[in-house]
Amino acid sequence: MREYFRSIWNFRYFWMSLVRMDLRSRYRRSVIGMGWSLLHPIALTTTICVVFHQIFQVDIRHFAPYLLAGIATWGYIVSSTLSGCESYIQAESYIRQCPAPMAIYPLRTTLGTSIHFLLAMSVVLVMAVFFKPEVFNLVALATLPATLVMLFAFCWSLAVLGGLMNVFFPDTKHLFEVGFQILFYLTPVMWETRMVSDPFLALALQCNPLVHVLALIREPIIYGRVPSLMNYCVSCGLVAFFLTSASYALYRLQRKVVFYL
Amino acid sequence: MAKIELERACLTFRVRKHDRITFKEFLVRQMYRKSINPVMKVRALQDITLQIKDGERIGVLGHNGAGKSTLLKLLAGIYPVSRGRRYVEGRISSLFDIALGFESDATGYDNIYFRGYLQGETPASIRNKLPAIAEFSELGDFLNMPVRYYSAGMMVRLAFSIATAIEPEILLIDEVFAAGDMAFQQKARQRMREMINQAQLLVFVSHDMESLASLCQKGLWLDHGRVRRFGPIDEVIQAYQASVLDSQPQAA
Repeated sequence: MREYFRSIWNFRYFWMSLVRMDLRSRYRRSVIGMGWSLLHPIALTTTICVVFHQIFQVDIRHFAPYLLAGIATWGYIVSSTLSGCESYIQAESYIRQCPAPMAIYPLRTTLGTSIHFLLAMSVVLVMAVFFKPEVFNLVALATLPATLVMLFAFCWSLAVLGGLMNVFFPDTKHLFEVGFQILFYLTPVMWETRMVSDPFLALALQCNPLVHVLALIREPIIYGRVPSLMNYCVSCGLVAFFLTSASYALYRLQRKVVFYL
Repeated sequence: MAKIELERACLTFRVRKHDRITFKEFLVRQMYRKSINPVMKVRALQDITLQIKDGERIGVLGHNGAGKSTLLKLLAGIYPVSRGRRYVEGRISSLFDIALGFESDATGYDNIYFRGYLQGETPASIRNKLPAIAEFSELGDFLNMPVRYYSAGMMVRLAFSIATAIEPEILLIDEVFAAGDMAFQQKARQRMREMINQAQLLVFVSHDMESLASLCQKGLWLDHGRVRRFGPIDEVIQAYQASVLDSQPQAA
C-alpha cells in the first residue's frame, strides 16, 4: 500500500505536467480563457433563473446562487466520471511503454476537473456574498475545505471505476451519460426539495445520497449553516463506499488493463 | 547492481474471437448466449527461466511471433507474469514502440518533458539535457510546433533522442529503427552503441544477425514462446540459421 502511494508520488512530475497541459489547452482555446469555460454554467443558471422566475415566481436573489452551486457541483461529478471513462484509452501509449501505477491516469483527469470546479465555486461564493450578504457565516464556510477533499475522493473513485469499466466494456461512457441524465432530474440540482409538495415523495427523495452531498456545499454557502450530522454521515458513507470499490477494483484489475487496450 | 531473473515465467493472453463486448451484451450473454464470442487463450511465453547478471549483453532471436517483443515487455514490467516469478533490480529504460505516445497538441519541447518525466527524470535533470536532446534530434524550430504537424520520420527522431538521453542500468531494445533518413540512422546506430556500452545490462531483440553478433555475448533463441536455446551468441546464431535453412527446402 505505502509502496503504491510512493510510486504515485514518484511519477508526480509526469501526471502534474499532463494536468498542466490539459488546463492550458482547455483555457487557451479562447481569448477570454477561463471566463469562456465558466460561461456554460453561468448561462445555464441565468436561463433557468429567468424561466423559473416567470413560471414559479422564485426569488432570484436566493435561487441564482443556489442553482449555480448545484450546477457546478453536479457538473464536477459528471465531468470527472465521463473524462475518467476516457482516461485509460487516452493514456494507451503511456501504459504500453512504462509500468506506471494505474491510479495516476484517472488522477490526471480528476485534477483537471477539480481545478475547474474550484474556479466555478469561487464564482458561486462571490455571487452568494453579493446576493445574500446577510447569511455570510465564517464558521459554516470553514467546513468547505473538508467537503472539497471528500468530493475530490468521490470524483476520483468514480473516474477510476468509469475508466476501468470502459476498458472492458466500450459502451460504459454512454451508459453513464444516460444514467447521469436520469439522476439529474432525481437530484435537487435545479429544483429545491421544498418545491416538492407531496410529503411522501419528499421523503423518498431524501433517500438519494447525492441530496446530502449537495447539502454539504449549499448549506454553508447559501444558508450560512453548518451541514447537519445526517448530511455528513450519508456523504461520508457514500464516499467511503466508492473509494473502497475503486481501490479494490484497481487492486484487482490494474494489471489486466494493458491486455484490453 | 543490475539483475534480471525469471523463474518459470508464463504469459497467457486471453483474446476474444470478435471485438470487445459491450456491457449490454455482457448482461445478455450471461443469460442465454455463451459461445458466440469465445475467449481464446494464447500462450505467448511458457516456462521461461532466465538469469541475467550485471554486465551481460543478451541478444534475443527467433522468427516472427515467437514472443521476442512480448518477452521484452514482460521484463520491462508492462505485462505481468501469468504464472512464475519476475525479479528485476535496476532502473530500466526501454526502446520499443518509441514513435507512439506523443501529446499531439503539445509542442516538441513539452513532449520532451512528458516523456522525460515518464522515464523518471525531474524538471531540473531534463532542463540540463534539453539542449542535447534538441541538438541530437536536429529538429530546430520545429520543436516549438505542436507534434501533430510532424512527419513520421520527425517523430521517430524526437522519440529516439528523448529515449536515449538517459543513462540506464538496464536497457531493453526492440529492433533497429527503420524510420528516419539515412543520415539519422547512422547517427542512431552510433548513439545506440554508446548507450549499450554505458548500460550495465542489455537485452536486445533483432533479426539482424550481424549486429546481434557484434553487440551481444549471449544469445536467447525463442521458439513458440519457449526458450529453444540459451548460450554463447555464435553458437545460438549458428543453430538458429541451421534450423532456418533446414526448414527452407520443405517449405519450397
